[in-house]
Amino acid sequence: MDTAKNKKILVVDDDENLRTVLVDKLSISGFDAEGAKDGLEGLTKALAMHPDMVLLDGMMPKLTGWEVLEKLRQDVWGKDVNVIMLTAVDQADNVAKAMESGSCQYLVKTNYSLDEVVNKIKKMFAGK
Amino acid sequence: MPKKELIKKHFISSFAVLVSLIGFFGFALFALHQPVFTMKIGAYSTDTFAFLQFKILAISAVVISTLIAYIIYLYLTSDTRTQLLILSATKDLFESKEQLLKIYESAPVPYLTLDNKGDITDLNKAALRFFGVVAEEMLRKNFFSFLVDEDKERAVQLAQHYGLRMPINREEVRMVNKNGDVHWVLLSVFDMGSSVKNSRLGLVTVFDIDDQKKLDQTKTEFVSLASHQLRTPLATFKWYIEMLLSGGLGELPQKPKEYVSKLCSVNEEMIGLVDTLLNVSRLELGKLVVEKKPTDIQEIVVSILTELSSQITKKNITIKKEYGSGFKNFESDPHLLRIAIHNLLTNAVKYTPEAGCVTITLGESLSGKVISVSDTGVGIPKSEQGKIFQKLFRASNVKDVSASQSTGLGLYLIKSIVENLGGKISFESEEGKGSTFTITF
Repeated sequence: MDTAKNKKILVVDDDENLRTVLVDKLSISGFDAEGAKDGLEGLTKALAMHPDMVLLDGMMPKLTGWEVLEKLRQDVWGKDVNVIMLTAVDQADNVAKAMESGSCQYLVKTNYSLDEVVNKIKKMFAGK
Repeated sequence: MPKKELIKKHFISSFAVLVSLIGFFGFALFALHQPVFTMKIGAYSTDTFAFLQFKILAISAVVISTLIAYIIYLYLTSDTRTQLLILSATKDLFESKEQLLKIYESAPVPYLTLDNKGDITDLNKAALRFFGVVAEEMLRKNFFSFLVDEDKERAVQLAQHYGLRMPINREEVRMVNKNGDVHWVLLSVFDMGSSVKNSRLGLVTVFDIDDQKKLDQTKTEFVSLASHQLRTPLATFKWYIEMLLSGGLGELPQKPKEYVSKLCSVNEEMIGLVDTLLNVSRLELGKLVVEKKPTDIQEIVVSILTELSSQITKKNITIKKEYGSGFKNFESDPHLLRIAIHNLLTNAVKYTPEAGCVTITLGESLSGKVISVSDTGVGIPKSEQGKIFQKLFRASNVKDVSASQSTGLGLYLIKSIVENLGGKISFESEEGKGSTFTITF
């Protein structure tokens, strides 16, 4: 079964380079990927598009990733959406903050290759 | 009694003794005069020996009467003389006490004295300045209650130490003043013994090390912030290189592919370096959180060896593995333990020459579970073995390894992590032959 088919993924990252390569990689892998350039745009697009998954950066202007996550979890649709925090920060308190808001995955960007990120996404869709 | 009166009293008693002495002499001379005079006449008629006998008797009488008078003098005046001595000694004592008090009062270091319960009995000016109070606001309050709330446990512990008369020497704690400002201080308490029965005096010195601490903190926070900022471009490199190498954008020709692969491995080194810097700063900020759970150490070792496989193959290094039992469900923090073992294995591979051998053993010793890593590498010079766990220390015989590959942080980080996990690390090494590092839990 192709888990990527018809899955919409929103990539929220203020770093243009990272956003581009993530969107490209996800598209190559068969997902329907779209980017958002800051937290506020990310939240607006998510609530409008209802993607199947949101990839969230941590430190972003306007709204941080953690704030976006908190607001998503207060939304009727957003409270169950798959979210992966993909950040440069891995301090324990930040991880705890993400877990409290109900995020399922927390990855440090430099520790994962794109392939590994895609695998995580696929596993999440497969319900693991 | 005032000094003047004492001197007067002394003078009167001395005068009295003198008068009585003169009287006594007069009496003695008078009493002796008659028989001596009689003898003198008799002497012409008797022999000279008898006259000599009388002469001796007369001298003895004078000497004895002088002695008796002197004893009377001593007896009568001893009291006033002692009092005079005490008076002058008291004055000296008073002066030196004044001097000491002046030193204590105007010393730039905050001093406080405590009673046996740890309640404050006195503070010097510097202490009043430090706490921003007048003396009455702190007197009879327990000194250890002025530690910040976050250090409450520490405060209880220190108060217990004080109660048990255990030494408190240069403890780093945070104290709070009247305005609520928190200061890092070096706290020492000296037992001054006791002057009165059942009471004792503790002298507290409080060295303000806040500026130093803040500087240290700023430095560490800067490293932490900078490292996080560095991660974004490093991730960009990593993922763009991966896209190029994966062939998803079309297969690269052989030579460019080799070049991009080099970029990839250098980038991974940088990522490792940034991770190390972050971990060290976290450690120093006290933000290294230990989360223990059942940990498969064997799996950690296998995954690290897989990660290092390209370097191992390139240098043709033989890896020997000995896995004992009891390492699949070991209570520890997998994330931290991985950092420690990863650093140990990376070092072993890095400092072992081509065709060398690295042995990793998961075993058991009398003191507990043992993880040891041996190599046939350059070893550590004997004279430098005491310093190898120091931060930023690099052995003199590895200076040819580039600085980006050897930061002098690895072993410092390993030791700190292992100790945070409740273990110990030791090593044996011979220059030119190799080293064995052993972690014991």
